[in-house]
Amino acid sequence: MNGSFSTRMLRTIAAWVVVAVFFFPIYYWTSVAFKHGNDIFNRPPKLFAFTPTFDNFQKVFGISLGSGGITVTPGGGNFYMAPRVWDSIVIATLSTVLAVAIATLAAYALSRMNFRGRHSFVGWVLSTRMMPPVAVAVPMFFIYKNFGLIDTYTGMVLIHALMNLPLAVLLMKSFFDDIPSEIDESAIVDGASRFMIFRRIVLPMAKGGIAATAVLCFIFSWTEFLFALTLTTTSVKTVPVVSSTFVTSIGTAWGNMAALGAASIIPAFIVILLVQKHLVRGLTMGSLKQ
Amino acid sequence: MKDSIRKAHLASVTDRFVRGQMDRRSFLRAASILGLGAGALGMGLGRRPFYGISQASAQEQELKPSAEITKWLSDVGKPFAGTTLRLATESTPPSNAIATQLKQYFEEATGIKVEIEVLPLEQVLQKLTLDVASSLGTYDLYYIDQSWAASFSQDVFDPREQLKNADLAMPNYNIDDFLKPLVDGIAMYEDRMVGVPYDIPIFIMQYRKDVWDELKLPPPATLDDLLKASAAITDAKGPNMYGTSGQMKSGHYSLECDWTAWLWGHGGSIFGPDGKFTGNDEAGLAAMAYWDKLKATMPPGVDGWTWDGEGQSVGQGVAASMLSWGEFFPFFDDPKASKVSGLMEAMVPPKPAATLRTVEQTGFGEIPGVGHQGGSSLAVSKYSKSPDAAWIFMQWATSADTQALITVLGGGTGPTRTSVYDDPRVLANARVGAGTTRHLPVVRDTIANYMGSEPDLPAWAELSSDMIPVALGKYFAGQSGSAKESLDALKTQVDDLVAKG
Repeated sequence: MNGSFSTRMLRTIAAWVVVAVFFFPIYYWTSVAFKHGNDIFNRPPKLFAFTPTFDNFQKVFGISLGSGGITVTPGGGNFYMAPRVWDSIVIATLSTVLAVAIATLAAYALSRMNFRGRHSFVGWVLSTRMMPPVAVAVPMFFIYKNFGLIDTYTGMVLIHALMNLPLAVLLMKSFFDDIPSEIDESAIVDGASRFMIFRRIVLPMAKGGIAATAVLCFIFSWTEFLFALTLTTTSVKTVPVVSSTFVTSIGTAWGNMAALGAASIIPAFIVILLVQKHLVRGLTMGSLKQ
Repeated sequence: MKDSIRKAHLASVTDRFVRGQMDRRSFLRAASILGLGAGALGMGLGRRPFYGISQASAQEQELKPSAEITKWLSDVGKPFAGTTLRLATESTPPSNAIATQLKQYFEEATGIKVEIEVLPLEQVLQKLTLDVASSLGTYDLYYIDQSWAASFSQDVFDPREQLKNADLAMPNYNIDDFLKPLVDGIAMYEDRMVGVPYDIPIFIMQYRKDVWDELKLPPPATLDDLLKASAAITDAKGPNMYGTSGQMKSGHYSLECDWTAWLWGHGGSIFGPDGKFTGNDEAGLAAMAYWDKLKATMPPGVDGWTWDGEGQSVGQGVAASMLSWGEFFPFFDDPKASKVSGLMEAMVPPKPAATLRTVEQTGFGEIPGVGHQGGSSLAVSKYSKSPDAAWIFMQWATSADTQALITVLGGGTGPTRTSVYDDPRVLANARVGAGTTRHLPVVRDTIANYMGSEPDLPAWAELSSDMIPVALGKYFAGQSGSAKESLDALKTQVDDLVAKG
């Protein structure tokens, strides 16, 4: 093991400090979800010494904590946001699958095939990230309205997949670029077809990159606000849009907003946990190749 | 279990039930575990819990639309059963009460489904603008803030015209029951009635009576009283408590609302009769001088707050008063949400420092008055695919009976109908506690005698929510020179925009 005991100790302490700094906002926000209105705004802030309450979760999810344990009463809360969390899960998952599937094929082609306009195509893909979403939100509203896609899962999955596609293509291309093309050439010599090489050799090697791309797509979809606001009304809603409904004419319901926010961290957290192994590999792929 | 512990727990459970923190089933289950039979409810607990339970039971029975109205809904709504109506609205007490507790009665009676999309105010405007631009009728009903009335006046039905259709008219709907100042201030644009008044947040004076009494200060009956008392409180109790508060976030509509109260209160106006900006005249500058002094008595964060921060500052005891939206009063009385429950007093806005200008001395129908009025109308969209069904819903939502239910359920928002202020259900809620209506007599008096209303012109949405609060924000941030320089620059901008139409 490198370094003396004191150096290792120092590193450990430094690591814990960094973790504490990054974890504090999450802790603070989550603690607000368990506070009464008075405790939320107490001066000085009550970080630990407060009487926890389940009221905010009761209002937001219809979940109550009684003598018989936790009970869920659908529709029992003032707002009942559980179906909206489900909407977000469906939209983020399906749009991620769609974006990653298309991006993987496109990125492989851009990485391995020579065709006219390849470089300008990459530049064009990049340029779409530079356009602010607000510039296309209104035209998209009219298009969606005419195609009957307003307020539908299909519409939201499509727009989030489209929104994430440029980034996913560029990311996946960089991961494929890091895999030596000599491997492909060897396989060709052995008689493998292009699709076979893609499916059996390159794709398994790029698993980490796919995981990293998927996580980013999922998080971007999970947190996207403008399209979700513009292209939905009442049937389909995502978590960021319903969070904004806690801003009322007589102030912001911070406790309710925190309850929804704290609960909405969980699905994204689970996704990251599931792909964590690949994620670390994906994010460091560049340093492992060539 | 020791008897004393059992009793203490029983008292706690009963208290939670009475306060509405526990549903009936959970209460009965907990009560039975504690050895309390249903028959003993009225005998063993003394007067208060028994009274509380009786009241709760009575409310469950009474807080429903009247049988007569339900019958009418059932008859008139039949042809429209299966229709879905959509309304985009700000999260206001009336909309929340309808969305969460009342619309089920309408849906059951008519078979018409109602989907209410609750959004922050700016997003409601965005949604309605898109709907009008596309003319596709995504929404059947429009929630129209008074500052948008001119913009949307041609996109909605005039309710007076709709009432002529006898087949769909609700018996005793009585459009004349709406408070006339609100009809003029919120719903009228030129000769069109842009919906009917739906909610009415209005500036009233709200102050900590205990602090005023402790420091032996006169109630803030004039603007000068308010300034002197605020300074005295800040001197005596700062930095733990400041005299008054504000909603002064740069670039936000709330800043414009505060400005108009001081401007009108010093005998000024936004526009003159020629339609030119007059906020920079002598009265306008006197208002700014007053505002500067008053701001010095406010908490340091005030220029980052909208009404949310302002309300919290009073609710948490950081500020001792505010001349602001009366909707906050029920929140102040809620012991779970604020630290000033029972300590606040409501009164009409302070008397102006100079004679108010008349409507004839202003432009675009501006009505000077220290009681700045917000508020909104409810209207049926001209692009609705089911305008008749929407009209039935609109009549029900704005009828006297529903408005009374909203006032009781929705936490004491100001009713827009005269009769609702005298409704026994509303009067019964005039006690200290969450959802109180004890401030409503003051709201009613303010509407009748002290109300100020913004001008009506198509450019007003942009002026009130962007240009004016941005200019004022720059002034308070010290980025645009003196008050005169700032307001002179604002005049140029405003007059240019108005001239463009």
